[in-house]
Amino acid sequence: MPLIFDGELLSIHIAEAASVEMETLAEANLIAGVGIEGDRYATAKGTYSNKPHADRQVTLIDEETLTALKRDHGIDLSPEETRRNLVVRDVPLNNLVGREFRVGSVRLYGGRLNVPCKYLDDLLGKPLFGPLTNRSGLNCRIIEGGTIRPGDRIVPA
Amino acid sequence: MRVLMPVTVADARMATPRVRVLTLRHARRDRLPPFQGGAHTLLTLPDGTKRAYSIASDPAREEAWDIAVLREGHGSSILHELPVGSRLYATHPQAGFGAAAGAARHVMVAGGIGLTPFLSMLPPLIRAGADATLHLCAREEGSAPLVAETRVLLGERLVTWFGDARRRLDLAALLAGHEPGTHAYCCGPQRMLEAFRAATAHWPDEAIHTETFLGLAPERATSGEAFSVRLARSGVTLDVPANRSLLDVLREAGVAPEASCEGGACGTCTVPVLAGRVVHRDLCLSGPKRARMMTTCVSRGEGELILDL
Repeated sequence: MPLIFDGELLSIHIAEAASVEMETLAEANLIAGVGIEGDRYATAKGTYSNKPHADRQVTLIDEETLTALKRDHGIDLSPEETRRNLVVRDVPLNNLVGREFRVGSVRLYGGRLNVPCKYLDDLLGKPLFGPLTNRSGLNCRIIEGGTIRPGDRIVPA
Repeated sequence: MRVLMPVTVADARMATPRVRVLTLRHARRDRLPPFQGGAHTLLTLPDGTKRAYSIASDPAREEAWDIAVLREGHGSSILHELPVGSRLYATHPQAGFGAAAGAARHVMVAGGIGLTPFLSMLPPLIRAGADATLHLCAREEGSAPLVAETRVLLGERLVTWFGDARRRLDLAALLAGHEPGTHAYCCGPQRMLEAFRAATAHWPDEAIHTETFLGLAPERATSGEAFSVRLARSGVTLDVPANRSLLDVLREAGVAPEASCEGGACGTCTVPVLAGRVVHRDLCLSGPKRARMMTTCVSRGEGELILDL
């Protein structure tokens, strides 16, 4: 059965190097097979760049998770603090493993679910590991590159 | 919060022949995060070296921080030669040292460059009308940084003790009596901290506050008796020879923690210890923490230690 959804890109974030706070962009250039222009995983300056993996080219997390963290655990996590690149709404991220989908003009492949890391707890001083388990977002490959902007539609490819 | 902010060296000046004051601004925003006076930031220098510096400016100044850097080794030399306009990374403010809330009286003792945390602690205290006195010790007036600025801030509540004026602070006499509500603070070289701790031995623990970024000298930090560590998670045993630090050996094995001062002062490179006799040589861990942790840059073991790594 085809997966039907119609979501929205809310914000775009990159970090110039590991542990450096994220910058919010009005638009971003996604390079197929590489990453987001200027992001630490496109320039091999990320925390996990010593273990390169195609699925780290771009990472997504949904706004619903941030709302749930506040509701269920009283934790404020801003979009920039997630250290994911794209914050989205109305996209079934956990169902997109092994599937292709579009963000605006760009085509992504859902490689694997993101696994939370204690590193983020230390970096932010917030207890996120448990609360983010099973809803930590999606790690993706860039199949077709292009420019994306907040407000772009996210739909099955 | 150890997220790094990109910062730009917006201004720099020599405060003494050996102390350079750098003004840092956020590279992308017009404000830096708020902090309590006495906080420090860990800077990542262009070559990856990390060093801790007290924020030495008024917390009310949100657009820039000053740090004062004494030239004394590798990291500080880089900061002395860095051109204005250079980029660094700075952590958000790290708390640890600061004025006790609700104290009736603050007695502060600074040695040389140890003045720096007080420069961010004092302005809010002065504005609040607090009773604060700062005793500043230095070899000679010219070697103590930012004395004029501090005098403007404190007036007669700055008491200077300069060796060239044949004035020597008697800490035991200054701190002989403890009155409830009085808090004492010290930041300075190791010898001064030891004298301060001895002079306040009869004070309640919560009324004494110390800060140091000056750990063991590099050659002492990295040497001592040989010992070994077993890593509980992998079962691997590593030998730490007499001329190397545990941190160095852990780095080679690819299991090293983050590190900063590498002199036992900042507490960044601590690891959990499961068993064994640790020879603690750091300046940062409290008694209870020493029972279960060690500082890998300077501390060593007798025989074999078992680490939770």
